[in-house]
Amino acid sequence: MNAFEIFYRQLIEYGGYKTVLIGLKNTALIAVFGLLIGLVLGCLLATCKILPRTNRIVRILSSVVDVYVAIFRGTPMVVQLLLVHYVIFPAVGLDISSIAEAVLAFGLNSAAYVSEIIRGGILSIDIGQTEAGRALGLNYGKTMIKIVLPQAIKNVIPTLGNEFIALLKETSVVSFIAVVDITKSFQNIANSTYEYIVPYIVLALVYLVVVLAVTGLIKLVERRLRASDKR
Amino acid sequence: MISVKNVYKYFGKDQEIKVLTGASCEIKRGEKVVIIGPSGSGKSTMLRCMNLLEEPTYGEVWLEDKLLTPADPYLHFDVIRASETYKKMLAENGSDEAVIAEIKEKDLLRKHEGKEYAKALKAVEDQYRIDINLARQRMGMVFQHFNLFNNLTVIQNLMLAPVQLKLMTKEEAEQKAVQLLDRIGLLDKRDEYPSKLSGGQKQRVAIIRALAMNPQVMLFDEPTSALDPEMVGEVLELMKELANEGMTMVVVTHEMGFAREVADRVLFMCDGVIAEEAAPEEFFSNPKNPRLRQFLQAIL
Repeated sequence: MNAFEIFYRQLIEYGGYKTVLIGLKNTALIAVFGLLIGLVLGCLLATCKILPRTNRIVRILSSVVDVYVAIFRGTPMVVQLLLVHYVIFPAVGLDISSIAEAVLAFGLNSAAYVSEIIRGGILSIDIGQTEAGRALGLNYGKTMIKIVLPQAIKNVIPTLGNEFIALLKETSVVSFIAVVDITKSFQNIANSTYEYIVPYIVLALVYLVVVLAVTGLIKLVERRLRASDKR
Repeated sequence: MISVKNVYKYFGKDQEIKVLTGASCEIKRGEKVVIIGPSGSGKSTMLRCMNLLEEPTYGEVWLEDKLLTPADPYLHFDVIRASETYKKMLAENGSDEAVIAEIKEKDLLRKHEGKEYAKALKAVEDQYRIDINLARQRMGMVFQHFNLFNNLTVIQNLMLAPVQLKLMTKEEAEQKAVQLLDRIGLLDKRDEYPSKLSGGQKQRVAIIRALAMNPQVMLFDEPTSALDPEMVGEVLELMKELANEGMTMVVVTHEMGFAREVADRVLFMCDGVIAEEAAPEEFFSNPKNPRLRQFLQAIL
């Protein structure tokens, strides 16, 4: 029996595919919800940094965000995951599933990066756009929402796509807290057959296909948003 | 219509760049005022102070009887008189006029001056100050670099502010926008994005975007400086039309021909103050200020 047949038998006949499907589902769950939390929280963090620093509350919030970003960008994802699982949740006494913990950890981490991406996007918009809005009598909030943000988001879609892809691939470390993701499911197959070559090549291909699909999706979104600057 | 009273504007971390140093002017209803001057003289800054895109460091800006800036204590005698410094100095050397003059000259009011002073200052603001966003609805502004909203089509550019500010319904705003676009002959561009327009078209759309708000006064910040020469004419033509319709206009420009033809009054700014002002005839043929003479010689 060659290596491919061994892999095939383990995957199909011995039911390895069930674990793979669960792993795929978990990877998708963590990546998608992690990104959603990252986007929402990241936008809030970016707002704190971008608001005019005229009052004290904004200045305090802005410093808090600086610390947040420093911590989450300054420590490895795996370490954050371990801290959430073994330190923070036990300390608080909350008992939630490991998947939910992973979603939270990836969301918090992603928020740090997303906030900087969004902030960069807002800063990239010519100040004249804001001035024109304000000069017409629109207040700061309306000017941001109607004029600056739509343009900023369009500009940051490629970078956000990068972040999502990075996040998706980084979910491969969740087996550290005993979550079965796509990597873990293939690892199981490899470990039970002592045949490593095929499972890991297939694993790489699975990631590649998923990432290519996501890339296609991002391109689609970008094309729709770019309608306004056909030159 | 607009009064700029003794406005100072400093930039920089330590306020070391002094762009306006006590500029004052008065724009009357229906008047067309052109501001010229060498670059760096503060003319754009003064225009931007009029709708508070720049907040003056000191001094006040008024739109008719409404105060736009915070109250400046030095411009209100009763506020000065309410201060501790004034009371102390009055007790020492007596004359009201002399004390006020000395306080102004030596800038003695920038520290804590007691409750009465704060109350007097607040009373002025309570009585006259209006929300800047309300004031800006009445003042149109046209920028050197057009600043059309890049994410919106031409017609959306025109409709955004009136609809968002609930001054018009969507239908009214669209009707007004169509009418304005028709007037400048760009109705066929209504659904294009600004990136598809030429410079002259962009600037004319920017002008009618301001007009869509039915402003009482229009501020122009070097509206033709970023245009190719062959497009300057179409923009100036539209501005002349506005002038003929009686719009109050304040124009910062380098177009001397426009100043001569349209202006009721020309201001010359230099070193952060208004160095000379006169009717165009007088201004160009008989300039008094030596800096102005030099400036006119250099450009004409």
